[in-house]
Amino acid sequence: MNKSLKEKIESTFKDLKVAIPEESRIAVTAENHSVLAILRFLKDAGFNHLALISAVDWIEDGFFELCFILTSYMQNNVEYTDSQRLHIILKTLIPREKPQCKTAIGIFPNAEPYEREIHELFGIKFEGHPRLTPLLLEREYEIPPFRKDFDTRKYVEDVFGNIPSVENNK
Amino acid sequence: MDRNKITKWLKEPAKMANKYSLHAIYFCTGCGIIEIPPVITARWDAERFGVIPAATPRQANLFLITGYVSVKTLRAIIRTYEQMPEPKYTVGFGSCPINGGMYWDSYNTIKHLDKYIPIDGWIAGCMPRPEAIFIAVTHLWTLIDKEMANGYIRYRKNYESYRRNQELALGKLEWPPLYKASEEPQGNEQ
Repeated sequence: MNKSLKEKIESTFKDLKVAIPEESRIAVTAENHSVLAILRFLKDAGFNHLALISAVDWIEDGFFELCFILTSYMQNNVEYTDSQRLHIILKTLIPREKPQCKTAIGIFPNAEPYEREIHELFGIKFEGHPRLTPLLLEREYEIPPFRKDFDTRKYVEDVFGNIPSVENNK
Repeated sequence: MDRNKITKWLKEPAKMANKYSLHAIYFCTGCGIIEIPPVITARWDAERFGVIPAATPRQANLFLITGYVSVKTLRAIIRTYEQMPEPKYTVGFGSCPINGGMYWDSYNTIKHLDKYIPIDGWIAGCMPRPEAIFIAVTHLWTLIDKEMANGYIRYRKNYESYRRNQELALGKLEWPPLYKASEEPQGNEQ
């Protein structure tokens, strides 16, 4: 099943790399502009569950990497063995200077909270997202806190270290 | 009832009643709340010590802060604490509220909880065992006896400093001050 799906993806799209890092995993590395088309294709191929969107900050290469992890609900059925339960990881690189990507809400509606979270923690803007409002954080940060150039220790010293204790003042 | 304590009961009935009926607010933060269900149910049975969970802050007078406090949770903690009727007692639970614990360099976690609300006692550990909660409760009894569990009095006294720290951490607070500056007790030194 892995092999046939791999050939199917490779024959449909150009400019992408398909690897099988281990059994029951497929890693697709694609260009930014073709991500939505690949997601649509994979959804039609039966991978109808977007399990996760995550981001990685490759600060030395100057890229953010977005990972979409797709599975299928049908694979939870009894007739599927463990080796047949397939996860597809779709990776794409976004330049760090211009962190923008098109939203995947049109294909997977449950992408909304993931994209809000990534927007908040990494500062990646998702075009077409209806509400990129704060989700988890309480305050504004100059640099989004999950980026590698965010200095947590300095931030903690500046913000929480400067708050005086109350009882020892007496 | 212990006969030796009869004089104590007659002398300070309100304090004794307070001691043996602590109502702990259901407030879950962090990982320590996983210790609370066995504590209040049959396995360890906190009711032996008079500790019983209360549904709302207005019915409770014991506040267990059971783990790390994120900035967002601090807002809820302050609002809950200010709603509780006096006398009220706060116990920080685990190493995270004490000094940040393993989140000491986290961008979104409060390091020293006693800068924002007064704390009467700490339970060290990560996580404390249920037995440690009972040791803390018995210590709290001693403190109540000696009038050293006076967090709510300290809160009233130092309210301006606490409120200033809360605003430093949370930005502008959307609720009015609990105590006005004129209400601050002057000669009520405890």
